[in-house]
Amino acid sequence: MNERRWAERLAIPLGFVLTVAVLAVVFYYPVWSVFSQAVWSDGGPTLAPLLDVLTDPFYTGVAHYLFTDPLAVPGGIATWLQAGMPAVELGLFGFTAYQALLSTVASVALGLPGAYLLARYEFTGRETLRSLTILPFVLPSIMVAVGFVAMFGSQGFLNDVLGLLGLGSIEILYTLEIIVLAHAFYNAPLVTRLVAAAWESVDVRRVETARAMGASRMRAFRDVVLPELLPSLLTAALLTFIFTFMSFPIVLALGGLRLATVEVWIFARVQSLALAEAATLATIETVLSLLLLYVYLRYEDRQSSASSGGTPLARRPFLVGWNTLTDLRRIGLLTYGVVALAVFVGPLLSLVVESVTGPNGAFTTAYYEFLLSRQTATASGTTRPLPAIINSLVFGVGTLLLAMPMGIVVAVVATRDLPGSRLAEAVLTAPLAVSGVVLGIGLLQTLVFGTVLFGHRFTVLGPVAIVLAHAIAAYPFVTRNVAPALGSLDDRLVDAARSLGATRTRVMLDVELPLIGAAVTAGAAFAFAISVGEFDSTVLLASNVDSYTMPVALERYIGNRSLGPSLGPATAMATVLLAITAASFVVIDRMGGRWDL
Amino acid sequence: MTDTADAVDRTPSDESGVELDGISVAFDGVTALDDISLSVAEGEFFTLVGPSGCGKTTTLRAIAGFEPPTEGTIRIGGRSVEGVPPEERDIGIVFQNYALFPNMTVRENVGYGLRFRDSPGDQSPAARIDELLDLVDMEGMGDRDPTELSGGQQQRVALARALAPGPEVLLLDEPLSALDAQLRERLRVTVRDIQQELGITTVYVTHDQAEALAISDRVAVMSDGRLEQVGTPEAIYREPASRFVATFIGDNNLFEGTVTDTAPPRATIDGQPFLLPAGSEVSAGESVTLTVRPEAIELGDGDATLTVTVDNVEFLGDAYRLHCDWQGQSILVKTSAWTQTDDAVELGIDRDDVRIILDSD
Repeated sequence: MNERRWAERLAIPLGFVLTVAVLAVVFYYPVWSVFSQAVWSDGGPTLAPLLDVLTDPFYTGVAHYLFTDPLAVPGGIATWLQAGMPAVELGLFGFTAYQALLSTVASVALGLPGAYLLARYEFTGRETLRSLTILPFVLPSIMVAVGFVAMFGSQGFLNDVLGLLGLGSIEILYTLEIIVLAHAFYNAPLVTRLVAAAWESVDVRRVETARAMGASRMRAFRDVVLPELLPSLLTAALLTFIFTFMSFPIVLALGGLRLATVEVWIFARVQSLALAEAATLATIETVLSLLLLYVYLRYEDRQSSASSGGTPLARRPFLVGWNTLTDLRRIGLLTYGVVALAVFVGPLLSLVVESVTGPNGAFTTAYYEFLLSRQTATASGTTRPLPAIINSLVFGVGTLLLAMPMGIVVAVVATRDLPGSRLAEAVLTAPLAVSGVVLGIGLLQTLVFGTVLFGHRFTVLGPVAIVLAHAIAAYPFVTRNVAPALGSLDDRLVDAARSLGATRTRVMLDVELPLIGAAVTAGAAFAFAISVGEFDSTVLLASNVDSYTMPVALERYIGNRSLGPSLGPATAMATVLLAITAASFVVIDRMGGRWDL
Repeated sequence: MTDTADAVDRTPSDESGVELDGISVAFDGVTALDDISLSVAEGEFFTLVGPSGCGKTTTLRAIAGFEPPTEGTIRIGGRSVEGVPPEERDIGIVFQNYALFPNMTVRENVGYGLRFRDSPGDQSPAARIDELLDLVDMEGMGDRDPTELSGGQQQRVALARALAPGPEVLLLDEPLSALDAQLRERLRVTVRDIQQELGITTVYVTHDQAEALAISDRVAVMSDGRLEQVGTPEAIYREPASRFVATFIGDNNLFEGTVTDTAPPRATIDGQPFLLPAGSEVSAGESVTLTVRPEAIELGDGDATLTVTVDNVEFLGDAYRLHCDWQGQSILVKTSAWTQTDDAVELGIDRDDVRIILDSD
């Protein structure tokens, strides 16, 4: 009896220790090994790799003078101002920030009207639309990139339609515009969701009080509503900037090296085996993104108290008969709806349409047959489709097996108000802040190439490393889903069950697990979707081995410029990915899953 | 008896029920319970009452085994339960928020304890569940989900669930506090009736002193982790042992004074003489606190007569409550006679209605 009680008491601490150990070995150690290359060489600290990057105009643009000739900077700025502020060389970091800025502006522009529509108008399907704002979050970005190629490519859906109409063709693939648009596809829904939530939490009584005191409608909006929307808008913009600053697959697939961001360039350096340079870049990039994340968290922290719990503003019906077409605001929103439909539905629809359309425009199932074939088609190089599909599914299951216990243990620790559990939570959720590419490099250099411990050389197989990387990326989402469910469990339920004679383990099986079941399922669906869609670290760990997954295969299909993009097989495989992630989304949505980080 | 000092003594003592012997509980070094000793007789309805944070719930949780005492011994049915986890203590517990398992039906909730303990009297679990649902007037509701029930119904189910395995002790932690006033009064009679019918040893926790007086065999008033007074409801009300009890239980008037004479006993309050009950054990020069219940004060003359101004008159239905001002001190009077605000009236206090609290601390 006593032994059983000890086992019960030790289960969670033991799981916690194991989780920390796994994190230490497959996250902190590899990531540290990457960063250490930037500041450590030949057994001593060094600044040389960092300075090499910071003083190189290729990386830092005009800002390199800050490091090469700081005294000349004020004079240089004065000369530049006198010359009428001509365009300057941005460098890699500057360009990355520039495209992130453009993407943020585009996301806000595309997302804000949606927030207005969702918060202020009532129409059939509004709740569904709101749920769908989550969808991009689980869609693999390389799949979305394929969707954009299918929509906007030279043989894409848009050009097919334009050709049919005799309007010629447009070529916007491999431009900054298409990257910005794809980023907006991802982040505009985030803007919509956050701002709509803030808009709905505005207490109508505050507006009514302002109106009763003499403010006009516009004035009340400016003085009461707007101040409550701005924080959420700023939050969304900041998050969008961080996400797009670190963006990788979208830029790689839709821009290539000509429009490379830091993350893409790191990947390219790794491909050319310039690991030290890649590590230095990764270090600088991580420092920058951590700084941004810190700003975000500080800001978020100050905002989190405003929930008023009042009566929300009443929604107006969107459709008001023929009057719908005479109201300027409604016409504007209808126009917005058409644009949104083109941006959000267009790529996904094109994906599916192109996957069943042959070169002659006729219906074909050839691409799906290709997916099941064991040989390679000439158009797809040496990447065979079936192993990619099987690998994705196997890795997904492997990820579940590892990420579920880790995520649940962390959730338990986070909800029990133990001393140090805040710190523990920070350490355990840090993986969210480090890019997959950095983790990929780290795992490659340490576990895959081998580590010498106690005189033995330990190596981890590529597939194992991939599952580890996926689990690291996925378990925080398990935690995010399970922790709130655990936190809302009433302690009295446990006490009541125990007073009736149930042991602690029985309480967990009879009461706690059934009650958090939905959250656990949502977390599992999330972990699976993350694994199936993971590209950043997989593409590094799967190089030169037969462990490539669907996203990696997709990139190879559309990235092979010498063969020309083989859109057919790519769209077919991307459609499979779409089906899997959409199914995960449905599960998550039905289980009331949570996405907020 | 064992001869090792730290072995747990599980020999039944003569007394059954629940006994607490010098129980202290500390959280992070802060004392929540300070040396509590009390004894609940078998079949007794015993209530712990006090303001929030006084330690009454901690006491209950210590009996249940959820808060291990840092010092002292708890005996249930005469046996020490030191080191015995809650699931092996043979208790039933009911919480304020019902704590019904939302993933189980009403029947499954009531039957949950029967998965681990036998039904009393070799009943089948199904029969036992029916009997309990019948007892709490919930027959026919067995297949409902707890969330479909009203608060009062949920609390009946929680009571049935706690009683189903026939526990030795029933523990009730503010079971009625989440219900509205009328339902609360009705349900407390139900709880009392069921307790009487089963004759089960019951420890009841509430912050509501009226509830405590209404349903208990004995009441323990707690404050600041300590026991203030233990006694029958009448004794607690009529003979409060401390200023805290005097003011926490019911409305009361307190007067600070000094004993001037012992034969007959007499005190003075701001120059106003007060006759004390004959035979009061006081000595001259002693500081005392005198308490007089509002309903004991009459309009007109008495052994002590105070001239007051009426500040406010509340109509309570069966009486009026007057808020009076006497030399800057406020006095509550409960009377059937109507008075007008701002009237100057005389209040008479009979010596036998005066209670004396010695200012020991």
